[in-house]
Amino acid sequence: MTIDGNYVAPEPAPQPGSYPVSIGWTQAAIAISSVMVLKTPMNLKMNIEMHGPLLIDFERHAFSWSTPLEHFPVDAVHTGLETIPGGAGAPPLFEPPGHDLDGLLWQIGLNAFDGAPAFWLSSGERYRLTRWPNLTQHSHNLRQVRMIAVLGNAYVSTQELAGYSGVEVAEAQRLINALSLMRILSRSVEAPAAAVAPETATATRQSLFGRLRKRLGRADG
Amino acid sequence: MAEHVILFTGPMGAGKTTAISNLSEIEVVRTEANNSERHIVDKETTTVALDYGEILIDGDEKVRLYGIPGQQRFSFMWSILKKRARGMILLVNSDAPDPIAEMTFFLDEFRELYDRGGVVIGITRSDVIAGPTLAQFSEALERTNPGLVIPVFTVDPRNRDQMENVLLALIANIEMREIFGMLTATESA
Repeated sequence: MTIDGNYVAPEPAPQPGSYPVSIGWTQAAIAISSVMVLKTPMNLKMNIEMHGPLLIDFERHAFSWSTPLEHFPVDAVHTGLETIPGGAGAPPLFEPPGHDLDGLLWQIGLNAFDGAPAFWLSSGERYRLTRWPNLTQHSHNLRQVRMIAVLGNAYVSTQELAGYSGVEVAEAQRLINALSLMRILSRSVEAPAAAVAPETATATRQSLFGRLRKRLGRADG
Repeated sequence: MAEHVILFTGPMGAGKTTAISNLSEIEVVRTEANNSERHIVDKETTTVALDYGEILIDGDEKVRLYGIPGQQRFSFMWSILKKRARGMILLVNSDAPDPIAEMTFFLDEFRELYDRGGVVIGITRSDVIAGPTLAQFSEALERTNPGLVIPVFTVDPRNRDQMENVLLALIANIEMREIFGMLTATESA
């Protein structure tokens, strides 16, 4: 294979239960998404350079990792990934209870796909929350709070979400990816664009949310 | 002066007074009396009328924080306090005998605050006892109030940062509900 005159060695075909080295979290998100829809109980073990093995028990909705999520390595180097059969009779992957998986999925979803749509999402879709993420347990900023509030009340596309929330489309897409990986988004290609109440469409004063955010000295929104 | 009234509701011992104390910029007005129901919640005093705190946004706008008494025998205060409220933070302690029933009860009792503003549910003391999971609280909400997507968070009322996040999530949600025309009721007469 030649790209711009430089030889690029073809990547070896993935083997069942193992994947090539990867940087970042896209591959992890794809693997997690795939395992979560399997009918056969399956768990995951990811080896991450400098951060040790990351174990995910989907049945218990828990994970075990020596790296705290406050120090989540955005540019993690994955050195291996394997699936481990779960279900009745299988030994526990780690000593329970572990940590709530939602926190890990939140971080992986935000940091995978580099602001592009997750591979399992389709164009033309609108999204709506089925339940809020537990924000007191996930590192977040106030732009994300505003976006989540939009998604809690209307079906919106990624572009509409960005528009309502005043953020870049890529930032909105990262949130959609995360909430979708957490499986707390409903998707529809048929939902119409949300209607905005006429009296609010012309409002010019900054929102109470914005004023309170400033008053509380929160610069993260 | 523009004012926004936020009500803190929930059973006795859920952490309402602590939450308001943590958020308020003024010394909280409390109406505490000796707790005669220590067999239910083991604390010395409990709110009998209301707690009051506030956050001044600027010279002519403030957020008023009212806490209700958690015991049903003081429910006459509930009717008084909910009249002016724009939103509600419902705190439920995970170590209550039946926290899901408590959540459902208070949500029903103050349902009009959801209809005309918004509600956030905070599950407290979840670090003390392994009560129902958030998913179980959400499932119960879906069963009893189908279609309502109410934020449910675990929260420590002593943690100011967490309480600010809960309050901001409530305000953001109320404003989005307003923008999308979801508010269906007006202030009680």
